[in-house]
Amino acid sequence: MVNVDEIFSVLEEKFGATKESKDKWTVTAVVPAAYLHNAVQFLRDESAIKFEMLVDIAGVDYLTYPNHEGPRFAVDYAFKSMSTPGARIRLKVQVPEADLNVPTLTDLYANANWYEREVFDQFGIVFTGHPDLRRLLNHVEFVGHPLRKDYPAQKRQWLSTNDYLLPALEKRLEVLGYRVVQRSKEVETVDNEFLEGSIKE
Amino acid sequence: MIVLDHRGKRQSLMPLNVGPSHPATHGCLRFLTALDGETIVASVEEIGYLHRGFEKMVERGTWQQVVPYTDRLNYCSAIMNNIAYCRAVENMFGVEITERCKVLRVIVNELSRINDHFVCVAAAFQDLGGTTPFMYAFNPREEIMCIWEKLTGARLTNSYSRIGGLARDSYDGFEQDVLAALDSTEKALKDLHACLDRNRIFLDRTVGIGKISAEKAISYGWTGPCLRACGVASDLRKDEPYYDYETYDWEVVVGTQGDCNDRLQVRLAEIEESMKIVRQALKRLAPGPIDIVDPRIRVPSHKLAYQDMEGLIGRFKSVYEGIRVPEGEYYCGSECANGELGFTIISDGSGHPYRIKVRPPCLTQFAAFHELVEGGQLADSMAVLSGLNIIAGELDR
Repeated sequence: MVNVDEIFSVLEEKFGATKESKDKWTVTAVVPAAYLHNAVQFLRDESAIKFEMLVDIAGVDYLTYPNHEGPRFAVDYAFKSMSTPGARIRLKVQVPEADLNVPTLTDLYANANWYEREVFDQFGIVFTGHPDLRRLLNHVEFVGHPLRKDYPAQKRQWLSTNDYLLPALEKRLEVLGYRVVQRSKEVETVDNEFLEGSIKE
Repeated sequence: MIVLDHRGKRQSLMPLNVGPSHPATHGCLRFLTALDGETIVASVEEIGYLHRGFEKMVERGTWQQVVPYTDRLNYCSAIMNNIAYCRAVENMFGVEITERCKVLRVIVNELSRINDHFVCVAAAFQDLGGTTPFMYAFNPREEIMCIWEKLTGARLTNSYSRIGGLARDSYDGFEQDVLAALDSTEKALKDLHACLDRNRIFLDRTVGIGKISAEKAISYGWTGPCLRACGVASDLRKDEPYYDYETYDWEVVVGTQGDCNDRLQVRLAEIEESMKIVRQALKRLAPGPIDIVDPRIRVPSHKLAYQDMEGLIGRFKSVYEGIRVPEGEYYCGSECANGELGFTIISDGSGHPYRIKVRPPCLTQFAAFHELVEGGQLADSMAVLSGLNIIAGELDR
C-alpha cells in the first residue's frame, strides 16, 4: 500500500516540490507554477495512487497574514483519488503580485473551467490557456476583485445590466462544430447597450 | 442566428433565454440556449444571482459566527452544513467530541439528508407536472421540520451544531418524535414508489434523459448521489469515515445509467439507508455530556459563567475575542445531501478566520449542465435541473 507521503517524495524529486509547513494535518506540496501542469498530469495518470478528481481550487491572498514571507497570492488545488478511496493530496502554487499568471488545468479536469473562473473573479489571478476566462460569481460590470484583502467589504458598485451571454453561446456552438455565419439580431443592433448597460446612474 | 453545421448545412437557430426567475429553476439560475425547433443545440449557464459574499463575510467575524452563515448554504439541510463546518474546525484543534454529541450529530445529519432528498424528489415531480407525490413527500418532511422547530427554534435556516459540541441537548420526547417521523417516512416512500416506479409518463420523461458517463462525472468533480447514480460507489461516510459511520450497518446505493431517473431513485434508496442509520443511532443514544469541557474551544455554559470565575472569563474571552484555532491550512470534506461539502480553512492563529473557501457540491454538478441538456428537448432540461438538485444558496455563496 502506497501512502501519500511517498507520492510527495516523487513530486519532490521530479518537480521540485516542497512541503507546505502550514498544513499540519494533510499533505500539501508547493509546486513551481512552471511545473504545475506536468505535476498534475503525473498525479492523474502515472503516480502510484491516481488522483482522478479535482476537488477544489481556492485562491488565497496573504496580504495581511502575520509574518508571512513569500509571494502575496497562492492557489490551492485539492485532489482526491477515486481508485484509492480516502487518498487526498493538495498542491499549492505561489503567485507573486507582479506576475499573476498560472497555467490552466482545463485540459485535464472538466471542472477546472469554473473553479479557475471563480479564482480569477475573486482574486484576479490569470489562468493562461483558459478557454473562456470570465467572471463566475460576480457581476459582469463589477470592477476589482472582492476577496483580495485590500478590497473594502463595505464598498458598493453600480451594476445595471444582465450578463451578455450571446458571445459565450456562439463560442459554445463553435466548440460543438458549428460555424456562426449570421449573428443574432440581439447582438447586432443593441450591442453597445448590452455591453455598457441599459440603466444609467 | 444562422449557423453552418459540421457538414456545411445551413441551419437557423433561435437563442432562448431561460431564467433567472423561471418557476422551475430552483433559485435564481439562468441559461441561454440555442434551439433548433425544440431541441437544444447548445447551452451556456450563468450563476451568481444569489452571490452574497459568504467568503468575505466570514473573514469579518469570529470562528463561531461562521456557523449561522453556513445554514444559508444548502438551506434544505441546514444543520448538515453546520456539522460539516464544525467538524473541519474541530479537526484543526485535534479534539474528539463527546459520544452523545457524535450520535446526536449522526441522527440530525441523517434526518437532514432524508429531508433534503424528499425536497429534491418532490420538486422534480412538481416540475414534471405531478402534484400528488409532492404532497406525499412533504408530509414526513413536515414532521421532521417540527422536530427541527423543537430542537433549534427554527424551521428552515436552523443552526444546531457548535464548534466542540451542540447548541443544546435534545428535548424530552425527541426519540419518540424521530421514530414517528421515520414511520411516516416509510409510508411516504411506499406511496412515492407506487407513484414513480411504473408510471409510464414519469419514466418516459426521466429514463435516458440527462445521461452522463462515470468518467465524465468524475472529471467534472461530481460527488454524492449524482455520482453514485453513475455507478461509482463513492461515499465519504465509507471512504473516510467519521462519527463512527463505519460501525453502522448500511449500504452505499449506486445506480447504473447515470440518467435522471437513476438520480431520483438513488435518492429514494438513500432515504431508506439513512433511516437504517437513524434507527441504530437511536439505540446508541445514551445520556452524557454534549459539549467538550475546554473553554478555549467550546464556550462555558451560562450556569458556569454565573457561578464560576474561570467560566466567566472563558465565556467573555470566547465571545469577544473568538476561539483561537491553531495556525495553519486545512481542507476537510464531509458527505452532505448533495455530495462533498468541503471547507478549505486558513487560520492565522487569531480569533477570526483568515480565509474560508467553501467547496459546494452543486457547483460541479451545474458546471456539467450544458453537457446533459445538449441534444435533448427543452422540456427535458427542467427534468435534468431538478434531478441534479441545484441549491442556489450553496451554488452562489
